[in-house]
Amino acid sequence: MADIEDLSRRRFLGITGKLGLSTLVAQAVGIKLGMVDIVSAQTGKAAVTPFRFAIISDAHLYSEPGHKFDAQLEQAVAQVNAMDPLPDFVLFGGDVAQNGTEDQLVKGQKILSKLKMPLKVIPGEHDWYLDMGTAWRGLFGDETWSFDHKGVHFIGMNGILVEDFWTPAGMSPKERMTVMEMLESPIPGPWGVHAKQLEWLKKDVEKLRPDTPIVVFTHGPLWDYYPRWNFQTKEAPEIREILSKFAHVMSFHGHVHQTVFNKIGNMTSVGALSTSWPWPYPPVTKPFPESQMNRVDPSIATDGMGTQFVDLKGDGFGIYQHVPFEEGVLTDFLQKGVKV
Amino acid sequence: MKLDGKIIRRVVTVSIGASALATALSASAYPFSKEELAEQEAALLSAVDKGYHLWHGSNPAMTTNGLACGNCHPDAAAANPQTFPKYVPMFGKVVPFREMVNWCILNPQAGKALDVNGEDMTAMEAYAFYLHRSKPIEPGLAARQTAPIVVDSGTGYPRKPTGIGVDK
Repeated sequence: MADIEDLSRRRFLGITGKLGLSTLVAQAVGIKLGMVDIVSAQTGKAAVTPFRFAIISDAHLYSEPGHKFDAQLEQAVAQVNAMDPLPDFVLFGGDVAQNGTEDQLVKGQKILSKLKMPLKVIPGEHDWYLDMGTAWRGLFGDETWSFDHKGVHFIGMNGILVEDFWTPAGMSPKERMTVMEMLESPIPGPWGVHAKQLEWLKKDVEKLRPDTPIVVFTHGPLWDYYPRWNFQTKEAPEIREILSKFAHVMSFHGHVHQTVFNKIGNMTSVGALSTSWPWPYPPVTKPFPESQMNRVDPSIATDGMGTQFVDLKGDGFGIYQHVPFEEGVLTDFLQKGVKV
Repeated sequence: MKLDGKIIRRVVTVSIGASALATALSASAYPFSKEELAEQEAALLSAVDKGYHLWHGSNPAMTTNGLACGNCHPDAAAANPQTFPKYVPMFGKVVPFREMVNWCILNPQAGKALDVNGEDMTAMEAYAFYLHRSKPIEPGLAARQTAPIVVDSGTGYPRKPTGIGVDK
């Protein structure tokens, strides 16, 4: 799997190679060790070096040159680049493109390349269903990944896989994409990560210590918020079960274009603001109604959109802070930052 | 009013008679026959269906930037049709739902406004209101987003399924 810390890890292995034993053990068992892992192995308690990372999500870029959503993604990049302290890296939560065309994905990559820090990306349905991920993979790499950073294990998965409805119907790629572009389409049904990624997840975490803080990143929420709009991930119960051995799991997701918080067992879950437009709140009661942002003002073109960052502390817990483009949309609960 | 026994009997007799008449008329669906009601329902659902497709981009003139009503209002959510007429700051006056629809077409969608009294606008209105059926009418409400009906599957109104995927 791609690893955001490849460079630093190689540097680490080079340094510790002089120490001998730790490097030999690490290489022999094939475990990706970082400095924090060595510290925790010595103390018997997981340790996190406090750090910040940012989340940008749901740009939905159109092909039209100079489309307003281009400028909104630019604004998000500028907002993250101006954060103090700077995030160590940025996660992008899916839907770079609106119609899945290569030009839209390339445009998104070009804008996101202006970030000062490394970027990790997962796909959304708008990125995927024109060519089943071919262009996306060519630009952003594997859609399933994990890496360790300062004592925290990060996992990204492709959570927008649906059953094949297009082959029996004889649909063209464009027709398939059109179906998937519509949030409330009656055709695709619930999406998820499917069996292969579940197997990957089991193996990815099997050797991790239970006190390792986990961040899992998917396009849709890992709970049944509103399946009608795919505000869900079909295999969320299985994912939560696989991750149930850990003391603390943080699930962050895009797709909902709104603030929403939940807590299930050992997992906290937070939804990201988009850079394109805010989705309405669905007609269901939320487990934490206070996490609903104020009503968006349609006369303000970028109201209810923005970016977010997470400050993780030494104990592996953190604060998730939405950073809207416009003031006034965050409730008191949200302004304080959401504890994750 | 003072009622003696004779008047009470007469009132009761008239009431029973009216009730029987109402029941009989109900059975024949007065003032319309079952066939007429079916035609009316079909006409409404045809307008709703047309509105659904307009809502999701069937008229290219309604946008120049690719956006459709459904981008921001899936299942007509947050369109809040039942809160109109209300004061809308962009207009500086009280406007009906149709004016708000045209505002969205003209601004976020950068498209050409619909004839406010035309069939397309009626269809748009039919769809938005149908997805809010049985919701309380709250004219003037501006402080919060209201919710449409819960749609479990399909499109939120009776229609023939496509037969594709889970739409069966």
